[in-house]
Amino acid sequence: MSDFSIIGKSTAMVDAASKTTGAGQYTDDLSVPGMLIGKILHSHYPHAHIARIDPSKAQALDGVVAVVTGKDAPNTYGILPIGHDETALAVDKVRYVGDNVACVAAISEAIAEQALELIEVEYEPLPAYFDPEDSMKAETDFIHQARPHNIEKEYHHVFGDPDKGFGQADYVAEARYLANEVTHAAMEPHSTLASFELDPHTGNLGRLTVWSSTQVPYYLQHKLALVLDMPMSQIRVIKPLVGGGFGGKSEVIPLEIIAAVAARATRAPVKITYTREEVFWAHRGRPRTIIDLKTGVKNDGRITAVRARVVQDGGAYCSYGPVTILYSGALLGAIYDIPNVAYDGYRVLTNKPACGAMRGHGTVNVRFAFESQLDEICAALKLDPLEIRQKNLLKPPCITVNGLRVQSYGLPECLKKVAERSGWRGRRGPAREKMQANGAWKRGLGMACSHYVSGAANSIIRSDMPHSTVNIKVDRDGGVVVYTGASEIGQGSDTMTAQVAAEVLGCSLSRVKVIAADTDLTPIDIGSYSSRVTFMAGNATLRAATEIKKLIAAAAARKMNCAVEDVVFSDDKVFKKGTTPSAKGVSAAEILETKDAPRGAASVSGRVEGQILRGSLQQKRKDEGPKDSLSFEEAIVSAIDFHGALTGTGSYAPPQEARGGKFSGSGVGPSPAYSYAAQVADVSVDEDTGIVVVHKVWAAHDCGRALNPVAVEGQVIGSVWMGLGQALEEEMVWKDGMLMNPGLLEYRSPSSVESPEVECIIVESIDPEGPFGAKECSEGSLAATIPAIANAIYDAAGVRLRESPFTPERVLAALRAKKQAKKLNLTEGVDPTNPQRLREHGGALWFRGRGPRRHALDHSRAGQPAAGGDD
Amino acid sequence: MSLPAFRLLRPRKVEQAVELLARHAANIQVLAGGTDLIPSLRQKLFEPKYVLDIRGLGELRGIRQSAEDGVEIGALTTLTEIERSLFLREHYSVLPEAAVTVASPILRNMGTLGGNICLDTRCLWYNQSLSWRKGCGFCIKKDGDLCHVAPGGEECWAAFSGDTPAALLCLDAEIEIAASSGLRRMPLHDFYTGIGDAYRKLERNELVTRVFLPRSAAGYRGTYQKLRVRGSIDYPLAGIAVALRRSNGHVEDLRVAITAVNPAPLLVGGVREALVGKALTDQSAMYVGDLAARIAKPLTTSALTPEYRREMIRVLTKRALMAAAQ
Repeated sequence: MSDFSIIGKSTAMVDAASKTTGAGQYTDDLSVPGMLIGKILHSHYPHAHIARIDPSKAQALDGVVAVVTGKDAPNTYGILPIGHDETALAVDKVRYVGDNVACVAAISEAIAEQALELIEVEYEPLPAYFDPEDSMKAETDFIHQARPHNIEKEYHHVFGDPDKGFGQADYVAEARYLANEVTHAAMEPHSTLASFELDPHTGNLGRLTVWSSTQVPYYLQHKLALVLDMPMSQIRVIKPLVGGGFGGKSEVIPLEIIAAVAARATRAPVKITYTREEVFWAHRGRPRTIIDLKTGVKNDGRITAVRARVVQDGGAYCSYGPVTILYSGALLGAIYDIPNVAYDGYRVLTNKPACGAMRGHGTVNVRFAFESQLDEICAALKLDPLEIRQKNLLKPPCITVNGLRVQSYGLPECLKKVAERSGWRGRRGPAREKMQANGAWKRGLGMACSHYVSGAANSIIRSDMPHSTVNIKVDRDGGVVVYTGASEIGQGSDTMTAQVAAEVLGCSLSRVKVIAADTDLTPIDIGSYSSRVTFMAGNATLRAATEIKKLIAAAAARKMNCAVEDVVFSDDKVFKKGTTPSAKGVSAAEILETKDAPRGAASVSGRVEGQILRGSLQQKRKDEGPKDSLSFEEAIVSAIDFHGALTGTGSYAPPQEARGGKFSGSGVGPSPAYSYAAQVADVSVDEDTGIVVVHKVWAAHDCGRALNPVAVEGQVIGSVWMGLGQALEEEMVWKDGMLMNPGLLEYRSPSSVESPEVECIIVESIDPEGPFGAKECSEGSLAATIPAIANAIYDAAGVRLRESPFTPERVLAALRAKKQAKKLNLTEGVDPTNPQRLREHGGALWFRGRGPRRHALDHSRAGQPAAGGDD
Repeated sequence: MSLPAFRLLRPRKVEQAVELLARHAANIQVLAGGTDLIPSLRQKLFEPKYVLDIRGLGELRGIRQSAEDGVEIGALTTLTEIERSLFLREHYSVLPEAAVTVASPILRNMGTLGGNICLDTRCLWYNQSLSWRKGCGFCIKKDGDLCHVAPGGEECWAAFSGDTPAALLCLDAEIEIAASSGLRRMPLHDFYTGIGDAYRKLERNELVTRVFLPRSAAGYRGTYQKLRVRGSIDYPLAGIAVALRRSNGHVEDLRVAITAVNPAPLLVGGVREALVGKALTDQSAMYVGDLAARIAKPLTTSALTPEYRREMIRVLTKRALMAAAQ
């Protein structure tokens, strides 16, 4: 298959050395002269008016330079144009425990922390809402005045004729599923450093530079301009190394704005780095979700209709909320052929940290419900979970009932491969008896599928502008410099960019340097979210490199006395089609290999380059007649001589046909291409303890062409692992608006011990529009893992968990109920096989003690003495 | 979160250490491995003027066997050393079995046996940042007068969450405590009070220096079962240690201790009476599980529901016994 020399080969990340040696700089590693440290005062109240803020004592503390509050920057912002409901710091009220009230900028962290304790804030508590279904019933004290009944957004979509579809069904399954709240838990906590230049003429504040751990530098630039009332051109956003985002850095996070506001007030650079607890308060993760799902099927498993009602506990601000709730409905489509769909989605505000985008944005919890329900249907109708999925496949190219265009579709092959590799047919059903039974441990296999967009076809701010633009400059030194706004966040964006450029130009990867994500230097790219970078920035890179290639080819054709179409680029050489490149033109890579071997081929040193240049010029003088091949340097020199300069630009905007229908909310869901995944999980369930062990996951992922197979595997394994966390361990535990586990000790991402073996199977359905046929690989696999494990638990132990995560107490409660064992209250009254309400954890006895001062009408205080002392 | 400002004191001898302790008793915290103290300092659970870094007390490191006396383990011996000691594995196996479950390999390289014995009791409502605790309302254990887990409680129910003390209780361990006035020895089971906020009988001017395991406790089959959500890192949500000696298929002697479900690690009473001289069966193991569950009082101090954790004491005690009998 290898017509390619760079892509399709596993390549180490171009920034791997700096990360593994510690030389690389993340935002918190940065320091500039005169830099102050900012610390934020957070609300202790879930919902309250701010009657008074008096920062005077804090301001008087030695070492404090300024204290800023909401009135210092009252302009609203938000990631979505329809959701500008945030301010840098609370202006009149706070909406969750952890909301931002004031910021101290001081000469040290310790002094700033000390100063926080001296800020006097007087609150007037308001009734608070913690459960989304209660919140929707609110009649007064709305969290945002402009959002009656605390409903951020609701959508009611009907495609086809669902009633007719259910009428045709032989069997209808209906159940409620709950998915508890999870967060990104990226390794790097958010950090921002903001610094103003002084205008040399006036001494006033001039341009602003912001270094920030962000997935979206250009959105940050935009929102900073809104809040600070500055032209965007006066703001430069630079993204240093980012230690993981997963969506948690895909919008403007409060500290990014607050650092700039504090820098303006102090006229000094200010850095803020969140503590882990603050990361949990900033959150923007996957909301608690209630999914009422109904699926109708014929006896053979063919789906006739689906109806879903989804309620998301969105937290106190809009964030990406409307997008999340739309994805939840839209991505019921584009995976199976479902002729009739009804969807009711409610994004509800509650007095908790805002939820937003998280890996698999909007699809994951609904996919858990859907794939679980398919399994339940199989159990009822005695169908094979593999066959029911095969029976409902799409027949692309096609447009789904909800207007999604599907072209490349590797799901059938994904299913086939995971079934083969996992021994699906041999190891299930009656054959399971043969599997090793080990005392209380029961073993089983479960299957599920998922999919995801390769970038949203419509950007957040609707326009016809390109979503990605890439510039390439090639100079006499033989170096290829690619300028891209795309944000490397650990997923391999820079490496992908370098690979695509090198592949097009037929040069070695070591020639390519990527300059990325600096709003002053790089052309706009809307960011690293919705798995859009490979598809969109990849296509832009492909186009920019192709433009350069054309310029070089024109000059080289003249040199070699041949037609432009006959110029071939390969192995750091440019040669006439049909000839073998002569050995005279020595490539930089070869020189590096022989002369610079100890340092490897990763960098081109000046010394070696000088030799190349001299060598090529000498050769030019010696060898005047037409020739069959040129070294890369010779070709470039001739192209620069010919054209004057060698630069290329490419951009990408999704085609109109891929942008979806015309109904309200149709903008979310459409993508130029979809990735597909099928997984089988092999688990054991301990019937005495409810502990679930995942032995192995077979994960097939259709990513179009795999540009960098090892990176694809890394992303798929990471997705499975993150899904495993949500399936078994991770859960934000709430008690009346307090997050009980705001740290990585009590919020449990899996450790290496319980991480299963993941066999990654790459399926390459070459997409007609992706760069070299590539699609996304970072998100699509996550959603399958949770239902695959749920289905495997059912296969192993015969219990159906409809509430995630499947913690030991939930699994045991289900097992004991099935065995009709003596009733123990293992799950505080919630039946995990038939959950009805989201549960408040962490001690039912909260207000038996005096507790914090809360509003008498708080739901949490129902049945308790009215007033609370604040002593 | 920054560390509070303190003066770091680094004695080289135990005498110096206890003298410094006595001098600054009201305002000092002891740092051995630091794995628990450092996060607690950042959360402002302690704001001492002085921190006594005892890592320089070389005499408190290491495992020494003595012919008559069994074995003596310095309080600064790391959990990794305990876990890897062939001598302990052979003669006092329940201790390395418990040690290997503590936290993660990296933390065990730092954490010490003395630190695990003295480990502060834990509670979800206590092990939180200053800001969190302020927002929630301070509790009895720190700065407040109410308990969030026990109704109208006057008492603190923070759970003792060390793994190794349950094993040490099964081995009749004694500890040596140093003060400027001299040394004293006490059985480990007298060290814990069962009260969450005053969980150990150690004066502010005292230091736990050594652990003694009697010769009579050697040679028992030992197992430790730990309930946790993750396979690593987590504190125990319940822990059960069993030391068992058998002869001719019958139980000759037996000890069972539980941890992480009460403010103290506890020996389970009545187990010898129930089992000594008898064969170990599913049923008798279950009975011991019931005995253990009866004294377990898990509350909402940690993840997983109290009812579940109590049930797991029952199930895991049975498993630990059956494993020890293998």
